[in-house]
Amino acid sequence: MLVTEAQGKALLRSAAIATPPSQELRSLDEARACRLALPVAVKAQVSAGGRGKAGGIRKANSAAELETAFDAIVGMRFAGEAPSSVLVESWLDIERELYLAVAIDSRVGGFNVLYSPRGGVNIEDGPPPLSYPVGLARNFRAHAFRALLEPVESDPKVRERVISTARRLLEIAQANECTTVEINPLVVAKDGALIAADAKIVLDEAAAFRKGATASAIAASRDKAERDIRLCEEANLMLVWLDGEIGLISGGAGMTMAAMDAIDGAGAQPACFLDVSGKPTPAGFGLAFDLLDRAPNVKGILVSMFGGGLHTDRVAKTLVELLARRTSAKPVTLRLNGTRSDLATTILREAGRQNHATLETAVADIVKRVAGAQS
Amino acid sequence: MSILLDADARVLIVGITGKFGTFSVKDLAQSHTKVVAGVATGRSGQTIEGVPVFSSVAAAIEETRANAALVYVPAVVALDAVLETIEAGCPLVAYPGDGLPVLDAMEMRAAALDHGAHLVGPNSPGLISPGKAKLGFMPSFCYAPGPIGVISRSGSLSYEACFRLSSAGLGQTSVIGIGGDPVRGVNAAEAIALFHDDPETRAIIYLGEIGGSEEYAVAEYAKRSDAKPSAALLVGRTAPAGKKMGHAAAMIGSYAETWMAKVEALDRAGVVIARDLDGLASAAASALARAMKPAA
Repeated sequence: MLVTEAQGKALLRSAAIATPPSQELRSLDEARACRLALPVAVKAQVSAGGRGKAGGIRKANSAAELETAFDAIVGMRFAGEAPSSVLVESWLDIERELYLAVAIDSRVGGFNVLYSPRGGVNIEDGPPPLSYPVGLARNFRAHAFRALLEPVESDPKVRERVISTARRLLEIAQANECTTVEINPLVVAKDGALIAADAKIVLDEAAAFRKGATASAIAASRDKAERDIRLCEEANLMLVWLDGEIGLISGGAGMTMAAMDAIDGAGAQPACFLDVSGKPTPAGFGLAFDLLDRAPNVKGILVSMFGGGLHTDRVAKTLVELLARRTSAKPVTLRLNGTRSDLATTILREAGRQNHATLETAVADIVKRVAGAQS
Repeated sequence: MSILLDADARVLIVGITGKFGTFSVKDLAQSHTKVVAGVATGRSGQTIEGVPVFSSVAAAIEETRANAALVYVPAVVALDAVLETIEAGCPLVAYPGDGLPVLDAMEMRAAALDHGAHLVGPNSPGLISPGKAKLGFMPSFCYAPGPIGVISRSGSLSYEACFRLSSAGLGQTSVIGIGGDPVRGVNAAEAIALFHDDPETRAIIYLGEIGGSEEYAVAEYAKRSDAKPSAALLVGRTAPAGKKMGHAAAMIGSYAETWMAKVEALDRAGVVIARDLDGLASAAASALARAMKPAA
């Protein structure tokens, strides 16, 4: 999970990487009492990206402007997220902006170090950054990185500082179990020092069992998460809300995406990614139907399960009982294929329900029924 | 032939007394896989479904000449179990579990490379060579022997995709689940190299998804003049950026990680693209048809 800039910068400072003088503010009183030298940057602390372009970073030249900026930012929402705090930092005198990151890369099988001599907000528009595939953090070699940097970074002082900063980023990633530690921009100050003007640090959620800080960050974000997402996480279902009208209940990450794409291929749009394979029980399906029946944008529901280890006759029984009790009038299409699907078809038929033989006929059916209901 | 796993496999199950381990003993026996040993600390001398249990991997290998291991232990102890198995000299190790810290996956991968072993996983159903042997928990009825090598990032997608291929008469030499996590043992490039060297594999099918960069390894291979014909199905065309779609690695962080960018790269490299699961069998058949054509 992505931590806030303020938390990320604290991690950078723990490895003696310089950050601008700063103060984290949570109230207007704290903003009034702020004694940082002006001008300052006033920055929303959120985990959503794109906050700069959304107006979440402002410059304040006076105490009054700082108050105004603080007030405006705490009232903003970034992809639905309220800022947890506001970070105020001394405005930097910038000579040049660099980009430096370490990130897990699947083809490297470990850490990749990324560097660009032209960092900043438009990094994605420029040429791709230089890449130094390290793998395990302990395999970082300054001389190997230097050889790659020489054609890209002409200033030898900057080069050496980048090398030592990269090593520290790897140490942070290793010690804190991070999948990304990115500084953009890494500012070259007028005196030549490197200062981290931003920090994007992603903690490996899978390591929460041995990293107290990660466990508490996950718990805090779950508290803030939307109710639906929280309920699903607690029940071991995986939910991502999308913009479409077809509610999708499926099993397995890959098959759920395949079903989303099939809905798109049939001219409709999925309303969600909802994988119930972690809990294909009355409780799991019950929660899934409850969420989709309540969601106003969902006009119909497709249940598509391919049984491998899962016995589809059990799923059929669960669905028959659940649908008999259900009060929503949204149309439901069922497709249970794989292990014991003959039995599943019989169980559904006896309950007056059709079991579609393939994903494609099921998708066509629900798309048609939803279109019919809306016309 | 097949890759990594054939009818001579002598399988060892680490964590044999757990729920998954005990299920697998029966399930593997049904698919004609020889399970020769189990490992469970402190349970040495017992048997599970007739399979002898040892308290260390080294002892199990010494007694039974096991040469492939299926490791069913929770993520918190997985690194130790996999390192023990690799260091005991087992040349093929599958770790299907999910929720493994990335740093642990990196250490497992490095240890496998150091010892010349092949690690399959994490977050994968394992590996199957239909009609020969199975090292994982995928549903056997989905598979049939044949000339196609299959590589998949997703378990659920590989079951249904192989079920459709088998139903269309397109059997498989081996099907390897490279897993849904960002760092894995055998990756796409390594799996392709294995299929490339397997004489019975005539065409390669790659089942991928959004996020990460494995798909570009497939494109690089397809550009080679000696490449075997290949087809690919990528899922997540409708997935939004910045959201994890179930798998740890299935998240779009940059343009290169989108469905469109990857499909374009694969298409340019000459890989037959299936736009949907519905088009997979015909894409696979056309890749196979290319393989059957005599060289001009």
